[in-house]
Amino acid sequence: MRFSQIAIVVPFATLSALLSGCSPAVHDAAPLQEGIVYCSEGNPESFNPQLGTSGTTIDASSAQLYDRLIDYDETQQAFVPALATAWQALDKGKRYRFSLRDDVQFHSTPWFTPTRSFNADDVVFSFRRWLHEDHPYHNVNGGSYPFFTASGLNKLITQVRAIDSHTVEFELARSDSSFLANLATDFAIILSAEYGAELLARGTPAQLDKRPIGTGPFVFEDFRKDLIIRYRSHDNYWREPAAIKQLVYSITQSANKRMLKLLTGECDVIPYPLVEELALLDTGDEIKITSTVNPNIAFWAFNTERPPFDNVKVRRALAHAVNRQAIIQTVYNGNARLATGILPETSWAYSPVDLTYGYNPERARELLAEAGFPEGFSFDIWAMPVQRAYNPNAQKMAELIQADLAQVGVQANIVSYEWNAFRRRLARDEHDSVLIGWIADNADPDNFFRPLLSCAALNVGTNRANWCDPKFDELILRAITVDSLERRKGFYHEAENWIYREVPLVPIANSMRFQAFRSDIHGVEVPAYGGLSFRHAYRQSQASAAVSEEQQ
Amino acid sequence: MIRYTLRRLILLFVTLWLLTVFLFALNYFFPGDALTNMTGVRASDALAYQRLVSERGFDSSLFSQYLAFLGHFISGDWGQSLSTQRDVFTDLLPLLGATLELSVLAMALAMAIGAPLGLYAAGQQRGSMDRVVMGLSLSAYSIPVFWLAQLFILFFAVKLGWTPISSQVNPLFDIDVQSGSILLDILLSNSPYKGAALADAINHLWLPVIVLAIMPATMLMRITRNSMLEVLQQNYIRSARARGLSETRILLRHALPNAMQPVVRQLGLMFSILMSNIIVTEVIFNWPGVGSWLVKSIYERDYPVMQGGLFAIAALILLVNVAVELFHAWRYPQVRKELYAER
Repeated sequence: MRFSQIAIVVPFATLSALLSGCSPAVHDAAPLQEGIVYCSEGNPESFNPQLGTSGTTIDASSAQLYDRLIDYDETQQAFVPALATAWQALDKGKRYRFSLRDDVQFHSTPWFTPTRSFNADDVVFSFRRWLHEDHPYHNVNGGSYPFFTASGLNKLITQVRAIDSHTVEFELARSDSSFLANLATDFAIILSAEYGAELLARGTPAQLDKRPIGTGPFVFEDFRKDLIIRYRSHDNYWREPAAIKQLVYSITQSANKRMLKLLTGECDVIPYPLVEELALLDTGDEIKITSTVNPNIAFWAFNTERPPFDNVKVRRALAHAVNRQAIIQTVYNGNARLATGILPETSWAYSPVDLTYGYNPERARELLAEAGFPEGFSFDIWAMPVQRAYNPNAQKMAELIQADLAQVGVQANIVSYEWNAFRRRLARDEHDSVLIGWIADNADPDNFFRPLLSCAALNVGTNRANWCDPKFDELILRAITVDSLERRKGFYHEAENWIYREVPLVPIANSMRFQAFRSDIHGVEVPAYGGLSFRHAYRQSQASAAVSEEQQ
Repeated sequence: MIRYTLRRLILLFVTLWLLTVFLFALNYFFPGDALTNMTGVRASDALAYQRLVSERGFDSSLFSQYLAFLGHFISGDWGQSLSTQRDVFTDLLPLLGATLELSVLAMALAMAIGAPLGLYAAGQQRGSMDRVVMGLSLSAYSIPVFWLAQLFILFFAVKLGWTPISSQVNPLFDIDVQSGSILLDILLSNSPYKGAALADAINHLWLPVIVLAIMPATMLMRITRNSMLEVLQQNYIRSARARGLSETRILLRHALPNAMQPVVRQLGLMFSILMSNIIVTEVIFNWPGVGSWLVKSIYERDYPVMQGGLFAIAALILLVNVAVELFHAWRYPQVRKELYAER
């Protein structure tokens, strides 16, 4: 029967036509060789790091779009010139004067064409925005500058002014040894004053942080939420331009999906890989995993404003009730170090004395009884929905803690929201306790204390314990006003002791930060302090790979 | 035909209107401020909020609020997203294009596979091939799409490395989003690498299209087979055979057109099933379509986006169903006669 032959041929012909479409992917097209796809873990909140402290936002903005006055060089352990060529401290460290480069161009985009190069006005604009509440941009896009408030920079700097077109001067309320360190962070970026003025005139100031203009190695092109961020290299960059022409962030929230996309070659670089699983799946040598020591701390913070956490005995009891060693094994697969205090080992102010509470359910029960909760109580643990360098799986950690607490009669409920909603609600102090952490923004130990636990950090969404203790504030204030490292170290040790006594939070672990790459990608920088940088990243093409193999 | 068309179209408009009433009501049932849920403007933005209170009739009766809602809705003002502050309607259009591209291709593939295999099975009635085809179709029909998608990804993408698993095209091909349909966008773009981009897009497309097509294809197979068998029993086929026409001619000229009648009737239903599968598929393949957008908005409690997504999907299903019914009535006069005889 001829008809039945036709009937059977058509579907198979269609299928095979379709399958022939799946010829091995085109790898040699020029755009694929000249760009890099980074599969980031979430949407940035904005493209201005001044406005937040989220690592996702910093990775998508700071090192790519902007520059700072000075940079911190990890290998030299010193501050190096960036937009400022030189700086000097005057009046015993109460005045700082910076000389600026005169050959720095801002990005030129379809929505803004700069008419002048970088000068002192841009520095003044960028700093005054968060410094002065009456600045026209101060309240644009939220008006909250968590890093500057939490680090006390907004109280420290009393005035920023331009001396001439390429010299700026900062006046400080007192001399502060962490000032330069704070200027070298990913938050102290320089915006374009000209762009700001143009947007004000157009009546769309909110665009400043959404369609960013900076001086950095990449130019922002496009952002589609949950899908993609697109950058192209900045041809007039004042340093050596980036080696790649295009940089794309493909937003992939699921850690599993990121791993699969790395295996299929859709991602060139992924953050927070599932290290164990990846090692199992990668049978060839297509993928490299690198780890960097990351100055971070994962902790469990109690909302000390809320009963029963306003009672220090309850906080100590819960600290005793948790088996942290088991958490290191299960959540981190052993790739982390049991925290001995707030400061990680990498900090110069670290002291090797263990200032944490050991696992002791018996003692926990006694303390609970003393505090008036012999029958235990019930409360919420908030667990982050995303992986961070300090905590690869907050959900699992919460479950372990929940089980430990059940042993001492305390009932914990695990709560989670979408990441941006989670941070918003945390900032409104809606939580009982939260599993979160902190990654240092600079090498100064102050960065671990003031943003996390000082009174100044209360309302800016970094003091998760909602804890304000004048004695503690005094200690950390004294630590930054003296110059001698040894004396500073002493103050920080005292501060750690005070935290040990009061337990506003339970330090859990210091973790490594992992990145996974396709093996033809080189030069992606993961600095210990701050976000990723793609400035030196490039793809080793197959041709040049062959040459280098021959040379070997 | 005109009366029938009018009746269908009126029914369509009434249903769409009821949908707007439902959406309007949702704003009040969702937690939070009704005006914020509707427009995406928070009360903290006092200036814009106050302007909207009067613009949207929130200073007067519920009825005038509905009228204001309907007016804005029809003119394409669907509010702004709570999480991105972007206009919902403008964001929706390219997403709709992406979803349509996927569904049209899947539907076409389903027809290209399902109908001929059904006919083939009918030709082999009770034969071993008939059993094989029908057995395959039943087992394929019982596989849930989210599981099938994962399985295909593991096999074709991770194990064999034949295909990528997410989005429409390698993002390094800088293709401007215009219609949202990637094949169209590439053809419209002025990229110097059109050929390579097109090949890459097809490479991204085929896996989700096959995953989506399998369910409707198996349904089509069974419907086509059954209706073909029924038609072959008819007297006019018997008389055609008696006149000595060749078997191929009988099948192609007399049996096939009539056998397709119940198949066409089912296309609307199949499209509805396809749309619910497409939501799952889009999420799994990170397809930038309405489905994954809707799911995201539910996670983020982004009410204006949720409403936009709901309306778009519901309206699409309704439109396709009405279009299929109209085509069905126009193509098959006997259906029309039945319809009018009922009254």
